[in-house]
Amino acid sequence: MIRVSNLVKYHGTHRVLDGVSVAFAAGQVVGIVGPSGGGKSTLLRCVNGLERFQEGEVAVGDGLALAGGPGAPPRDTLLRLRRAVGMVFQQFNLFPHLTALGNVMSGPVHALKVPRAEAEATARKLLDRVGLADKADARPAQLSGGQQQRVAIARALAVNPAAILFDEPTSALDPKMAAEVMRVIDDLANDERVPTTMVIVSHDLPALRRVADALVVLDRGRVVYDGPAAGAPPGYLE
Amino acid sequence: MDRRWLLAAALLASPPAAFSQEKPPLRWGTDPTGGAPYVYQDAGGAFVGFEVELADYLAGKLGRTSVMTKADWDKLPLLLDKPAGDADGIDVVLNGYELRDDLQKTYTATAPYYAYRLALVAHKDDDTLKNWADLATPRDGRKRSVGVLNGSAAHEYGKTRFGDRIELAINPDVATVMGLVEKKRLDATVQDNPAAAYFLKELPALKAVGDPRQPGFYVMYVRQADKELAAGLDAAIKEGLKDGTLRRIYQKYGLWNGDQEWLCYNQTGQWPADEDAGEAPDAGGKANPWPRMLRELAGAAGMTVFLSVASFPLAVLIGLLVALGRVYGPGWLGVPLGVYVEVLRGTPLLLQLYFVFYLLPGVVPVLTLSPLQAGILGLAINYSAYEAENYRAGLLAVPRGQLEAALALGMTPATAIRVVVVPQALRIVIPPVTNDFIALFKDTSVCSVILITELTRKYNELYNFNREYIAELAFVTAGLYLVMSYPMALLARHLERRAGGGKTHP
Repeated sequence: MIRVSNLVKYHGTHRVLDGVSVAFAAGQVVGIVGPSGGGKSTLLRCVNGLERFQEGEVAVGDGLALAGGPGAPPRDTLLRLRRAVGMVFQQFNLFPHLTALGNVMSGPVHALKVPRAEAEATARKLLDRVGLADKADARPAQLSGGQQQRVAIARALAVNPAAILFDEPTSALDPKMAAEVMRVIDDLANDERVPTTMVIVSHDLPALRRVADALVVLDRGRVVYDGPAAGAPPGYLE
Repeated sequence: MDRRWLLAAALLASPPAAFSQEKPPLRWGTDPTGGAPYVYQDAGGAFVGFEVELADYLAGKLGRTSVMTKADWDKLPLLLDKPAGDADGIDVVLNGYELRDDLQKTYTATAPYYAYRLALVAHKDDDTLKNWADLATPRDGRKRSVGVLNGSAAHEYGKTRFGDRIELAINPDVATVMGLVEKKRLDATVQDNPAAAYFLKELPALKAVGDPRQPGFYVMYVRQADKELAAGLDAAIKEGLKDGTLRRIYQKYGLWNGDQEWLCYNQTGQWPADEDAGEAPDAGGKANPWPRMLRELAGAAGMTVFLSVASFPLAVLIGLLVALGRVYGPGWLGVPLGVYVEVLRGTPLLLQLYFVFYLLPGVVPVLTLSPLQAGILGLAINYSAYEAENYRAGLLAVPRGQLEAALALGMTPATAIRVVVVPQALRIVIPPVTNDFIALFKDTSVCSVILITELTRKYNELYNFNREYIAELAFVTAGLYLVMSYPMALLARHLERRAGGGKTHP
């Protein structure tokens, strides 16, 4: 369970997030939509501590809370928050000097100190899960965009987070590759063995409707809708 | 940094096994570069000269062995500042040093061993220069250029006697100055008469102008604490003057004259005994010098390689740490690290080496380094500034998303930088770092100023005594640098290709 309360975030004098309160239940799949510049990506980046915010709070599970304010947040809180909440980026951000397998192993090995052999076994299973078992030794530069994003999803899953945030995971891809990535996300969402909460920022509304249990609409830093996908106000959904 | 290099550096830099004699060797400092007839190499490569024989005689009188130590002429007294028994220090400065007030404040001068005069030397073709006074008259509407050794009596005389009516050209090397006069690039030079006499014989295009003037004494300098040594040297000089030993040595090099008879009378109260003139110095065999010269150049090339491979890893390590501090460290750290980089980039390597070797021991006695240690450290520190800038650029060139992706996986910032950012930054900067390695490889030549005989200094030594091969030696030396640096460029290119693995970012 992730609970965002009254989150306020400024870029300079611009109030990007204007008191956002939203909750994502365990195992839930939530889509976030809204016009560009509405604060969708910023919200995700605040939730896993990549950006500071000025007011409000992000709480994950019981007893882990990051409060906004001036000054650097406590290191320990940040680390625990990031280990609990994974992230998949629009530009994939795979590590170009590592193979696909190395990318998926990097979190367990370097962040969780899992023994290499164990991490490798898990990583191979995850690559298989996203349909790339045969690309384990390929470098990111040798993979298509869709394949890279699938490796990135496997990498995020490898540290076993309570939630994964998808920041426009398909907008850098052509429609065919985007569909292939959404299929993987859909698979995971419907897989009972993967209890992970998923929060997906996307402009691909048809795909979101198919995957998401609920939709949140953000406009000018405010939540204007939070509920079942079917009930969302149509004006925001083109 | 590979620890084996440090170990090897320490081993090479440690003093040679000490003699197991009762008395320590008499270490005397000299600059054999262009040093005839004082100290120079004969065709066989052995060091000869009237001061070599004088040192052998004096050491024998003191019951010690004579050990010659080489350094730049104007830096010799600084070597006395090292403690007695130091492997890189000396006990005596013995190299045509005049009796000078400034040096006597810090060191003890011995009795004079030679009375010299200043001689004026010019090109034979110059009819406008017939006596000393002509120096002050302009030639073709410009002041005459006169070469002198830095800090020598001739330097002082030129300044006080002629002031700004002549153009003084300062150079540390007699042979170079004489060569410039021979090629008419200098109008004249004022030198002590022993050197003048030697080069007038060697270079037929030169002529002596007027009579030698402005007599003075050559003395040796020792530490003020070494009273016993000073007294022993004084006694040995006087005995040698009296019994004709010095006369035989000086005659061998054509240096005995009336001034020396006066010196003998002045020092001992006796006129020297009459003796037959000695023989002229051996002209030297006609043996082919190339095998020896090539051997010496190859040895010096080894030193050049060693200096490079010992100092560069250190430079890279320091540079990377400085860059990490500047890019990721706390804000206050940026200022001192920025100053570090700018000071080291903005001052000459030559001065930095002087500082590390000659001045630092005076400020921090613990940091009394051997020449090799000082050379490696100086090069490493100087290049660390350039490497810091390379790595800073490399770190900044890694996209921000890389660090974010690593943090999002739950890595600590330090781990993320170490396993994700630094490896990519290292790849990005391979070309400029390779470039710097080759630059450092050639900059090792600057280490010659702190007594390290590497390739360039060896070339200087060799051509001074083998002037007929000056061009060949230059080509061989340049060729050695090239054949060593080209494989390193190839190796670096190979590393680049292997590390690159295609584009660096998707």
